[in-house]
Amino acid sequence: MQQIHNVLAVAAVLIATAAPVAAQGAGPGEGAFLDRVRRLTIEGRRAGEGYWSPDGRQLVFQSEREPGNPFYQIYLMDLTTGDVARVSPGLGKTTCSFIQPGTGNILFGSTHHDPRSEALQAEELAFRESGQERRYSWDYDPEMELWVWRSADGTLQRLTHARGYDAEASYSPDGRWIVFTSTRQAYDRALTEKERAQLELDPSHFGEIYIMPADGSAEPHRLTDVPGYDGGPFFSPDGTRIIWRRFDEAGLIADIWTMDLDGGDPRQLTDFGAMSWAPYIHPSGEYVIFASNKLGFENFELFLVDIDGTREPVRVTYSDGFDGLPVPSPDGARLAWTTNRGGGREGQIYLAEWNHAHALAALEAAPARRAAAGSEDRP
Amino acid sequence: MSAMPRVVVVLGLTLGLSATAVGQGPSSPTRVLVETLAAERFGGREAGSTGEALAADYLAGELARLGARPLPGRDTMLAPFEFTAGNRDAGTRLTLGDRTFTAPDHLLALSFSDDATVSGDVVFAGYGIVVPDSQDFGYDSYAGLDVEGKLVVVLRYYPEDADRDTRAILARYSGLRYKAMAARQRGATGLLVVTGPRSPNAGTTVPMTFDTALAGSGIAAASVNGEVAAALFAGGRSLEEVQQELDSGNPHVAGFPLAGVTVALAPRVARVTATARNVLAYLPATSDVSGVDRPWVALGAHYDHLGLGERGTSLATGDDAGRPHLGADDNASGTAAVLAVTEAVARMPERRRHVLVALWSAEEIGLIGSKTFLDGGTVPPDSIAAYLNFDMVGRMQDNRLAVQATGTSPDWASLLERANVPAGFDLTLQADPYQPTDVQNFAQASVPSLNFTTGAHLDYHRPSDTADKINYVDLDRVAAFAATLAVRLANLDEAPVYVRVEETAGTTSRDGLRVFTGTVPDYTSEAEGLRLSGVIGGGPAEQAGLRQGDVIVEIDGQSITNIYDYTYALELLTIGEPVAVVFQRDGARQTVTLTPEARR
Repeated sequence: MQQIHNVLAVAAVLIATAAPVAAQGAGPGEGAFLDRVRRLTIEGRRAGEGYWSPDGRQLVFQSEREPGNPFYQIYLMDLTTGDVARVSPGLGKTTCSFIQPGTGNILFGSTHHDPRSEALQAEELAFRESGQERRYSWDYDPEMELWVWRSADGTLQRLTHARGYDAEASYSPDGRWIVFTSTRQAYDRALTEKERAQLELDPSHFGEIYIMPADGSAEPHRLTDVPGYDGGPFFSPDGTRIIWRRFDEAGLIADIWTMDLDGGDPRQLTDFGAMSWAPYIHPSGEYVIFASNKLGFENFELFLVDIDGTREPVRVTYSDGFDGLPVPSPDGARLAWTTNRGGGREGQIYLAEWNHAHALAALEAAPARRAAAGSEDRP
Repeated sequence: MSAMPRVVVVLGLTLGLSATAVGQGPSSPTRVLVETLAAERFGGREAGSTGEALAADYLAGELARLGARPLPGRDTMLAPFEFTAGNRDAGTRLTLGDRTFTAPDHLLALSFSDDATVSGDVVFAGYGIVVPDSQDFGYDSYAGLDVEGKLVVVLRYYPEDADRDTRAILARYSGLRYKAMAARQRGATGLLVVTGPRSPNAGTTVPMTFDTALAGSGIAAASVNGEVAAALFAGGRSLEEVQQELDSGNPHVAGFPLAGVTVALAPRVARVTATARNVLAYLPATSDVSGVDRPWVALGAHYDHLGLGERGTSLATGDDAGRPHLGADDNASGTAAVLAVTEAVARMPERRRHVLVALWSAEEIGLIGSKTFLDGGTVPPDSIAAYLNFDMVGRMQDNRLAVQATGTSPDWASLLERANVPAGFDLTLQADPYQPTDVQNFAQASVPSLNFTTGAHLDYHRPSDTADKINYVDLDRVAAFAATLAVRLANLDEAPVYVRVEETAGTTSRDGLRVFTGTVPDYTSEAEGLRLSGVIGGGPAEQAGLRQGDVIVEIDGQSITNIYDYTYALELLTIGEPVAVVFQRDGARQTVTLTPEARR
């Protein structure tokens, strides 16, 4: 569940002009962490953001794979049979799905209730047809709301109603809470002129982290209050902390943070002075896997950092282009992530065996964390 | 896999090495089949040979044991067919004044020549290249020449000293078949090809290549050696001097009649026919197929191989030459996979479609067995919902499996994704169905098709392609994966939609290619660039410091994104002239200098 769009799009434009490279299987250097690397999704133009069911037998993900809709829809894959079924309505935009522990219900952001959905799909398809290139920009559609697909009967339930982008949601390990990103604060009050200009330019600036009961029975409670895009939150495996990424005010630099469920005790885990985002805590609770473009603006790689951020992060992947949105399996022995290493601009979900012992050893051997130049001034 | 003219043969594998036995799998269902087919007693299973006939009998017995039957209306699984097994010069002669030159010492018929006797004046037409007007590049070796009713002498290859861009264009129109067509279209009755003194292989005749096209070229054509060339040019300037002028690539350097030279040319090509056998069987549907959309699904693999390697696509050298080419990977492995899939499909309780099981012969000499079947109408192509082909699937490395011809249907992505989620291969998908294997014929017959392969290796088309080097564990996995697909295809409500894939433009003629770099391309890689699955010991690539796993991204300033770019770039290299090769290794770009050698 992350906004991969902004980042991927920028990366994609640059990849197109970058030097051709080896892009297959495990790149050099990856072998110690990743074994049996393979592409999981094949159908369709693009796929990404795969999240596991608690038993590790299913993966929910977003993909563009049906004619008529150029936006992502949400699909559930049975990893035993390979069967794939769409769970979102097929209409409008969706993003960032997550399976509820205990029920198998699936949470995602969707705009299908927006009466303009079909028109917007047609508009985007026509734009593509015209052959023009656009620097893809995810629009943080204020119509985006959280919806739940109920596994029992396949019906949909709407969880949020506030104007503003509500998405990037995930459940707590006990399935009782939802943490998510919302820009609602920009729509429920009078904005200054500067803020209005900011909203026009980049609505993600108003993204903050919220928590609410999984059934939507109480109003969301806001956890962050720092200018700049806070997004992509997940619970820690023991359910006591939240991990997310925080952009600076200019929206250029992002770092990985954790906090308590009430927003207290915020801690910054990374300090690359680059775009570090899409964090996910390994089920062991020992470390975080995230993506960063530290090594090149268009070159996102996966990194590890210990759960307290006391040491320098350790690099995991070695392929040019995009590697991001890493999600370890519940048993901690596999990793699903999104990458375009198979060629082309668009990402697909890849799967590999994850070497947890090597990850621990590599973190152990990492030097103490260094501060990035000029980072002292940041919160 | 049949000879890969554009690539492997061009790159000229010359040495055999690397024998790592992998995946022993003592209980492997495919192991017995591979070991049997690749045994010496089948002698390399050359189409039309006793060994091939024995193998066909063995395979028919195995299919019967699995419960497969002869095709409807047949009482045997053996389906014999006639084919052109080879050709040789049968006494070509050339008379020039009072001298008579004879094959094979002085000249050789070109393999596509008509058997005719022609005589007349002789016109020298330079390199004999005509670039079509559509190319917007003026080059016509026949400009200003009258060749009607005469014989034409042309140089082999293309101008040696032309700049790279010019060579890039001329090379495309320098194939001998193309030159023959140009001469015939201008009314020439005969064509004599000379390998100029300034070219590689100077003064030698052109070896007869195996050519399965039965239609003649409408012209008498032969290559002549340096002695004959000297006799033709005896009355004027030396050929070397003439060639030097042409070699600049300047289109205004004209040919000329050879004053007073009259010749009689009588090419004689003997085409040898033989009988080979496809093995054809089927598992009947378990319910009535009337009303089923395209009621057949087909599985296929060729079981023939190169015998003793005497027909030209063998890459054996030294002590290996003339020994049986056992073809364990190529293609006992694919044959075993088809039988394993058949066994799995036979066990399934329900099949809404018939499953055709086809083991092809005469694949190695031009995909003839499958073509004969498709033309024969026993099972019309438009009744086949899908075709799965297996060619060289026994050498899996690092879990990598290439699936080719995926462009033949938009439905493949979904079917492959679903089957591969549990199978777990690192799949490489290649849309192009124009692969050097039987899948090409099915794709051209409008059947949605796939080919599975684990790629080429250093034992490709050599006697060292033996059963002990097969990775049986992964071969069995490939068969299980394909069986899942086959069962789904047999039960789909609607047959996959067929899409025609256009042939990649810019493919090059074999005889225009002449450099040897000693690289073995990796066909299972979808890396951008050309990944090497090996380098030939002592060859230019190894000497340059390249090794397995390197991904070539640039040669001599030409960027390389795929195997076609690579082949094309090679075509433009000059033998003996060092070029920069840029490649990726361990994530870093490096540059080495490689000096191409002449291909023989």
